[in-house]
Amino acid sequence: MRASAPRKPSPHPARQVLYGFDRLYRDHVDLIYRYAHRLCGETEAAKDLVQETFLNAYQGLKDFRGESKVSTWLYTIASRACIRMRRKRKGEPEHELSLEEFVPTSEGEFRLQIPMDGLSPEEALQNKELREALDQAIEKLPKKYRMALVLRDMEGLSAKEVGTIMGLNERAVKSRLHRARLFVRRELSARGITQQDNQKSGGSPS
Amino acid sequence: MRKKKTAGKRPTKLSSRHHTHSEGRCVDLLRQLSAYIDDELPSDICREIRRHLGTCPNCEVFIASLQQTVTLCRHRLTPQLTSADRMNMRRMILDAVAAR
Repeated sequence: MRASAPRKPSPHPARQVLYGFDRLYRDHVDLIYRYAHRLCGETEAAKDLVQETFLNAYQGLKDFRGESKVSTWLYTIASRACIRMRRKRKGEPEHELSLEEFVPTSEGEFRLQIPMDGLSPEEALQNKELREALDQAIEKLPKKYRMALVLRDMEGLSAKEVGTIMGLNERAVKSRLHRARLFVRRELSARGITQQDNQKSGGSPS
Repeated sequence: MRKKKTAGKRPTKLSSRHHTHSEGRCVDLLRQLSAYIDDELPSDICREIRRHLGTCPNCEVFIASLQQTVTLCRHRLTPQLTSADRMNMRRMILDAVAAR
């Protein structure tokens, strides 16, 4: 049997945790900031949420066994932190969205449109009014619906992953997502932004 | 091949015999639109929905606007962190760890 080469002494455990944290932070801070910004809608709150998320991750790092993807684990920590932080800040009761409230009651309501015919989404979002209407619609969504929409339609996760993060089954995720989309669609189309506004109100996104 | 059904009850069949919004045909469709957009419905239900859309301009406009909503959400812009932001936040996190 060959004698094993002398091994380097392993770094101090605290230093190992710091190395692990630094790698985690470097690889995921942009992802979590993007998620946080999409949830909070503004920069300072998003930064607070990123810090809270990574602070919790630092403390949980030694117990993380890799049962889920690292990104799923971080999304879960961020989502829970977001719920805690919003509760602390606002204390507002959450309201439920029922499907019935999205049933159009007139032909006119059925036919409300979003002004992007013939435009790519990037071109349509050059319209400041449309961009602001989208931001406001998402901001107005009750948070449990917003979270489902952000994770599924913006972060591009599967319904199963969203369920893991939010502690829901897939059916509940899809139900929340559907209501969230109907809410945003109604908010956008009810603003009456027209294709003409689209052409007039260009400008680069902020 | 028939697509695998997702969770829950089988989606409601849409009747194309009559077309009156108040009779709820369009409301049935409205309940299933996200599943339709996400391609999660069995193929026979998708065919019925397409048939319904061919006879109902209102539902056609509605589904187009919902699809556009999803597309806009997918392309919504978010600002980027600067290197200074990343560094400052890292320092604040480690300060908070040390303080606990």
